[in-house]
Amino acid sequence: MRRETSVRRFLDRHWYAYAMVLPVVVVIAVLVLFPLAQGVFFTFTNINEGNIANPVLDRPATYVSVGLDNYLNILSGDASYGAFWGTLVRTLIWTFGCVFFHYTIGLGLALLLNRQVRGRAVYRVLLILPWAVPAFISAFAWKYMFNAQYGIINQALRAVGLPDPVWLGQSDWALVAVMIVNIWLGVPFMMVALLGGLQSIPGDLYEAAEVDGATPWQRFRHVTLPGLQSVSSTVVLLGIIWTFNMFAIIYLITGPNPNTRILVTYAFERFFSGASRDFAVASTYGVLILSVLLVFAGVYRRALRKQGEVW
Amino acid sequence: MRRTTLVTAVAAASALVLTACGGGGGSDAGDSGEVTFWDTSGPNESPVFSRLAQDCATKGGYKVKTETVAFDQALNNYRTAAQGGQGPDVFRAEVAWVPQLAKLGYVVDLTGTELANDTADFLETPLGSTKFEGKTYGVPQVTDSLALFYNKKLLADAGVEPPKTWDEVKAVAAKLGGEKTIFINNDAYYALPFIYGAGGDLVDADAKKIVVNSPENVEALETAKGLLDAKAATTALDPANSYNNMQAAFTSGEVAMVVNGPWSVADYLKGTAFTDAANLGIAPVPGTTAGEGTAPVGGHDYVIRQGTKAKDSAVKLIACLSSVESQVTVAKELGLLPTRKSAYDNADVKANAVVSAFEPVVAAAHPRAWIPEGGQLFDPLKIAYADVLAGKKDAKTALDEVAKTYKDTVVPDYTVG
Repeated sequence: MRRETSVRRFLDRHWYAYAMVLPVVVVIAVLVLFPLAQGVFFTFTNINEGNIANPVLDRPATYVSVGLDNYLNILSGDASYGAFWGTLVRTLIWTFGCVFFHYTIGLGLALLLNRQVRGRAVYRVLLILPWAVPAFISAFAWKYMFNAQYGIINQALRAVGLPDPVWLGQSDWALVAVMIVNIWLGVPFMMVALLGGLQSIPGDLYEAAEVDGATPWQRFRHVTLPGLQSVSSTVVLLGIIWTFNMFAIIYLITGPNPNTRILVTYAFERFFSGASRDFAVASTYGVLILSVLLVFAGVYRRALRKQGEVW
Repeated sequence: MRRTTLVTAVAAASALVLTACGGGGGSDAGDSGEVTFWDTSGPNESPVFSRLAQDCATKGGYKVKTETVAFDQALNNYRTAAQGGQGPDVFRAEVAWVPQLAKLGYVVDLTGTELANDTADFLETPLGSTKFEGKTYGVPQVTDSLALFYNKKLLADAGVEPPKTWDEVKAVAAKLGGEKTIFINNDAYYALPFIYGAGGDLVDADAKKIVVNSPENVEALETAKGLLDAKAATTALDPANSYNNMQAAFTSGEVAMVVNGPWSVADYLKGTAFTDAANLGIAPVPGTTAGEGTAPVGGHDYVIRQGTKAKDSAVKLIACLSSVESQVTVAKELGLLPTRKSAYDNADVKANAVVSAFEPVVAAAHPRAWIPEGGQLFDPLKIAYADVLAGKKDAKTALDEVAKTYKDTVVPDYTVG
């Protein structure tokens, strides 16, 4: 009796908050948690296009549990299952290579654009362009430019007497080529984010440093970089997660080429592309990608906390 | 008042849930009389198929909407759509796709319809591609194979005949400008003339064996690589640009020969080297020994999507599109090869240079294994073939890996033989 009244009192006081939160909780459960749980469940089965239930075609599900087979097959590093460890290393090279150049080139351009130069607005518009072009258009344009026989890049290299590699062929040049494209595409975002950060650093800090006799390098090292830290840590984390999962550029430029294969493109190949639609192996890749990113985000957060950053 | 607000909130939330899970359903009740046709034939050919479909619809008293779909994306898009009960009513499927779609339950079993009864006139090999486990799932639209296209002027100037063996290609290369002799496309389908010509195959469907790493196939890929090593051939080593570079090199007269199918003729005739159409020569693909050159059977079939709401109209449309008249029109205007024997008797079809050149090629063509996995055999082979041509792997290693991939992911119940 008394408990009932306390529950009622609780609801009387807080019902509004719960009613407001409920739709969000339900939507998140339906749109995020349920598919996630289903995806994890699929990793323990042999589900594929042929044995999945299909109400449209009046067909019941016939997939069975296979235990940890999917994980064992993938983690053994077998080439038929995407050569996991090699692919993971390539993914890491791709991710950190891209983000490193995104950040350094973006920071350089942001510093240049933060000065009072004539036509600054024009430069800013021009430098943001790669970001404004739809990704698939950039991808196809670059694919033509990297054409080993007729592409403008190799024509230029030949003209000045340099060797002209087969950019998108069966070698590591293919990875270099897609990294160049992705860096070109990603720099504008970093530049804009860091430009915003630069403009939030108070000018009197620089004046004070100058009065104290700090060299330009010291000003950059001790005023600019600390001032940018909060922006940098966020955009670098975002950049790493995006680049790790960047599928479109690689797939549109090189297709299913093992030399540019990263974890997500292989998951896509298994899920959708010409080879069997193997939902089980693709889901297993999904879970492994999620695990890698969770571990990374955890380590990253701990590192930031040590530096006093609350995130 | 309060209670009603709570109820409203819950109702709103559950409405969201319901919309999220909605969709699906659908049953085959009646005929809507509107047929959507997915045509994968590309910009050169699609206008003709589209016009034929409209004519058929007008005559038959139903409506048809032709949607052109990019060939390399079509299978994927169709499977995704059909799984959700969406997609076209009639689909132009490549011959290797039909058994796969039949096994997955995405196409209508045509047994018992007029389409399955009217088969006596069709060529046997294309007709084979429409059968799966004894039932008929499609109607052959066109058939094709690969042949050797050559630039007559370049060969005549060099004083050579179209080569009959790969060794002859090497022998005449010096006269034709070395690497400018032939362009080898490093795609899996274009490896098949080498493989079939050497007496190999990808799988032995009857014995349920994977034979892709047989000694014949190793020799076949070594032959292809040997042409490159002997500077008797060129290739675009980047697979993404390979086909387009081949077309560009041949149409500009830069290389003398290519291996390709009848669908490419329209592209070639637009090129500067073939402003005079008579300059385009067509011969059977070279073989390991003369006369043994053989290429894969290709082509396309019409299928009806499982779950269509316009099955009767779709059957009528396919019957009309695959009639002798329609096939004659297609052969006449596009130079594509009919699948009906009687269409070849037509005087206009006989007079078409492409059709008459391809007729013996198709008759000698090598049938592919009509198994559900047939279409999935190419992706692993494509990577291996490109690796071999680029000199990254030797043929034996690359093909052993393909065999393992077939066993693991494509045909697990086959043995590696």
